[in-house]
Amino acid sequence: MEFKQVVGRRRSIRFFEPDRKVEREKIQTILEAARLASCAVNAQWLRAIVVERDKLPKEKLDQLKTPVAALTLDMAPLHIYFFCDLGVVNRIKGERLRELVDVGALAPTHGWSHKFVDDLVYPHILKPMTENLQGYLTAAAADCGGAAHMALLTAVDEGLGACLNTPNPGLVKGVFGVPDDWVPLWVLLVGYPAESWEAGGQRPRPPFEELYFEGEYGTPFKRDEKVVESLKEAGMIQAPAPLPGRREEIRKLAERFGLPL
Amino acid sequence: MPLPRPVQEFDAVRTWFQGLREQWGEDPRDWDQFVQALAAFCAFVDKDPDTMIEECVRRSDSGMRIRAKGRRFYNDKIAEWQISLPGDRPAQARAGNAVRSFLIHNGIFLQSGIQT
Repeated sequence: MEFKQVVGRRRSIRFFEPDRKVEREKIQTILEAARLASCAVNAQWLRAIVVERDKLPKEKLDQLKTPVAALTLDMAPLHIYFFCDLGVVNRIKGERLRELVDVGALAPTHGWSHKFVDDLVYPHILKPMTENLQGYLTAAAADCGGAAHMALLTAVDEGLGACLNTPNPGLVKGVFGVPDDWVPLWVLLVGYPAESWEAGGQRPRPPFEELYFEGEYGTPFKRDEKVVESLKEAGMIQAPAPLPGRREEIRKLAERFGLPL
Repeated sequence: MPLPRPVQEFDAVRTWFQGLREQWGEDPRDWDQFVQALAAFCAFVDKDPDTMIEECVRRSDSGMRIRAKGRRFYNDKIAEWQISLPGDRPAQARAGNAVRSFLIHNGIFLQSGIQT
């Protein structure tokens, strides 16, 4: 699929074919994409536990369910639980940043040197950063968000439906027995959509000019309608929700899966 | 204890009906069955509809919040009630879902699992 189409076709899919498994190669492809995401200081905070729902013992699956997150966990045949490994920076002590200098990704042209990375970056920048937990977690979690979205878009590119959800952090840590310094972030629910891929149409968004500015705060970045038209042709901007027939589609899904209306 | 007045006359039921109408753009198709299911559930837990909602929320100057304990109680009670009903599993699920719908349209976010 072309990249713009992947962006345009992505929806948070909430109805999955519960019994149609996701092929293992597709799961790996999703994880490979997350691993290749941009990452500050090459720390690689994102961790994932891949769970085939049907292989999870029932008592564990039940533990993860809450009154607000029972259906989605039941429906999606594949769960990818994302965590932020806060301990990684103090374990690797700048080693992966050094690799970036070694391979020429970071060069003296931009001020980087082995000496700087070896003697200054970890003790004077990275380690102190980890000691300000709030700021550190914000930065690390934002980084993980980028990687998780690479995974999400890759799932779409693989013809799957996916939805990022927030699990109960305490329950997830307990169920999977992760290290203390792993912070639960999201669960990426993956499967083949039981709803149409349009899922009712592209979701409403605030006006472009309310979100993006040019040069300074308050000066909207002007949207060029020609660009909008070309993005429509490329499939990135699509028909907005609600598409005709969406209510009936939901009714049918509710009847099929025994859900309230 | 029987309800002191018809179930349709409680505020929370009016809110439910209004929510269904707004959501689906028409009057609910199975309204009578919905109401009957709710009335039966009220008898099961011995609570009227408005009280059920009040037990699922906490009201303060800053607005309404969901009371997790109340929601969990009713979530569990619906599951317990529906499996006690006569009929096949889809019929039981329809009855349970009528009560879930009542809670949902009164702002009590909850989900059942797949019920097929």
